[in-house]
Amino acid sequence: MDRRRINGPAGATQPPVFDDVVSQGAKTVSGRSRMPDASRKMYLKTGVTPSASGSAYLEMETSAKPGASGLKLSCSVHGPRALPRSAPFSPHIVLSTHIKYAPFATKQRRGYLRDPSERDLGIHLEAALRGAIIADRWPKSGVDIIISIVEGDQDRETSKSQGEEAWDMMNALAGCITVAAAALADAGIDCVDTVAGGVAALVQDGGADSTPTIVVDPIPSDHAKILAACCIAYLPTRDEVTNLWFRGDLPASDMDLYTHLVEKGILASRNANCVLTNCLMETIE
Amino acid sequence: MSSTNHVLLSPAELAYLHASLSLTPPIRPDGRAPTQFRPLVAETGILPGTNGSARICFADGTEAIVGVKAEVERTVVGPEGEGVIVEGGEGEVEEGGGEGEAGWVEMTVEIPGVRDDDSGTAFLAAMLSEGLLADEGFVRRLWINRRFHWKLYLDIILISPPLSYPLPLLSLTTHLALLSTRLPRLKSEGDEDPFFDDDWAAAPYLFPRPNGKSTTFVSQTRPPITLLVMAVGNNIIFDPSKEELAVADVALAVSVTAGSSSSQAPSKHVPMDTSTEGRNLRLLSIRTIDPPSRLTPPGVANAANSAYGANAGQKTTHEAQATAEGEAVEGVWRAPRGGAKRMVLGALVQKVLERGGVVDEVLDALEGVDLG
Repeated sequence: MDRRRINGPAGATQPPVFDDVVSQGAKTVSGRSRMPDASRKMYLKTGVTPSASGSAYLEMETSAKPGASGLKLSCSVHGPRALPRSAPFSPHIVLSTHIKYAPFATKQRRGYLRDPSERDLGIHLEAALRGAIIADRWPKSGVDIIISIVEGDQDRETSKSQGEEAWDMMNALAGCITVAAAALADAGIDCVDTVAGGVAALVQDGGADSTPTIVVDPIPSDHAKILAACCIAYLPTRDEVTNLWFRGDLPASDMDLYTHLVEKGILASRNANCVLTNCLMETIE
Repeated sequence: MSSTNHVLLSPAELAYLHASLSLTPPIRPDGRAPTQFRPLVAETGILPGTNGSARICFADGTEAIVGVKAEVERTVVGPEGEGVIVEGGEGEVEEGGGEGEAGWVEMTVEIPGVRDDDSGTAFLAAMLSEGLLADEGFVRRLWINRRFHWKLYLDIILISPPLSYPLPLLSLTTHLALLSTRLPRLKSEGDEDPFFDDDWAAAPYLFPRPNGKSTTFVSQTRPPITLLVMAVGNNIIFDPSKEELAVADVALAVSVTAGSSSSQAPSKHVPMDTSTEGRNLRLLSIRTIDPPSRLTPPGVANAANSAYGANAGQKTTHEAQATAEGEAVEGVWRAPRGGAKRMVLGALVQKVLERGGVVDEVLDALEGVDLG
């Protein structure tokens, strides 16, 4: 509970559903317009916040409405700077990550304070970045990585979300990892490699009996059912995974399916890494 | 509570520990086999005011209590849902035909000495509830009728100081508490306001169990368990203690459950008793745990240490840095850098899901607990 501000009523209200679309009835699943291995278009720019030592902005295309943009992330990196005198000695850089959805970013309003899911995302991001940063070059110092999700990627035309929050979180995390890596590079903090995030999902498009397929960079509203998904933070030149987050329901007898899913997740993060590298090259020139 | 709590071990101790864990077979500080769990004491039904409860005490002194409370809650129906009710009319409500929502389960974790808004605690709670919610059949059990559902509160309390990363302990305790959870028997029918039998002895279990006498096939779904598994060199080590986790190259939390999938009906009607070969495991979630080894202090090789005759004074800083960043010297601890090879990750998951492996062993042990 936020005591410093005037809070809205505690009781939940239904978010408004606008009825101006042709689809008056239940919205059918539109289906995926991209190839299974193609990621969405992404816009990445570094150095957007002059007061921070490093910053980046990422925008991702949504397929709910062609041409419109979905996920918008802004990341700023403060540091490396000296730890306060009261802090205990640390032989490494102390990394603190902070991910916050803007209150208006999703259909359901988010509060000003971070809720558990945002804290959870922060820990995931920390695990992904800590593997990439060469932490022992900055003893006794700290760096803050602050990401605000200005707009979440949600299809506003569907009135009710069908348990998609979990999969949305994975997409958001992948974006957060990529944008944080760009901001870290902009701040000039030494990393072993540029880390980028990618998502792959096992989806079932045609009914319960159809064979599931694996797609890269899924949008939950495009698919009838998502069976499993994984988000991967990957270092391409070292061929190493710094963070793996899998969620879903897979039979244990089918290890191949899991392995393929991880391979596709790596492919997705390679795609994101291309954008990241190009963006950083442009900054140098 | 983060996994990155500082471990008070010197670089020399870390190097020794890492070397002994990389041997084949690994030598663990407490003499366990690589796949062996710490011995534990478990009991259920300890809290009379709850729907289900459990307590587990690990041999290293960490102890957790879980209480499960259920409340009847009105289901919030969206604009589309109401239309369905009008069309549907009465009397054709199929058993458990409703859809569950993730919001019907609320999980809180409390760890002494840690602020309740700590990110690590939120991470633990998210990890435990993720496994539970990944099984679609679970929330469907909480459905009463179209207007009401059970809301399940799982309160997990670690009552000892966190001596090791408490994830396996909390997960096993939650598993037992859910197994012992009973919900009052429903007496009302259809979409009426729910009305329950006040005879507690008649209350069915949330996870119906196969009773020995009757031969009816009961679905063997079980609550998930989350295992902590780590890799050091080429070795895979289960249930690491705090000191072992301090030298891990990579650590994973893997949630698995036993039982037939909700979507695929069991094709062959094999009577599945507790024998290990019959268990049909499903992978529910995997998370990378940030290993605390990345935050350990590095050791200094003798060649770079001026106390051991390294040339002090001129050109030192540059050279010292070069040696610190260069090749690893045997016996000198260096915090791992970078991530994990995908082969290692694959091997970890494979080892967890192995038939007749650790998961089966743990589930067998937990089935032996008297659920009262």
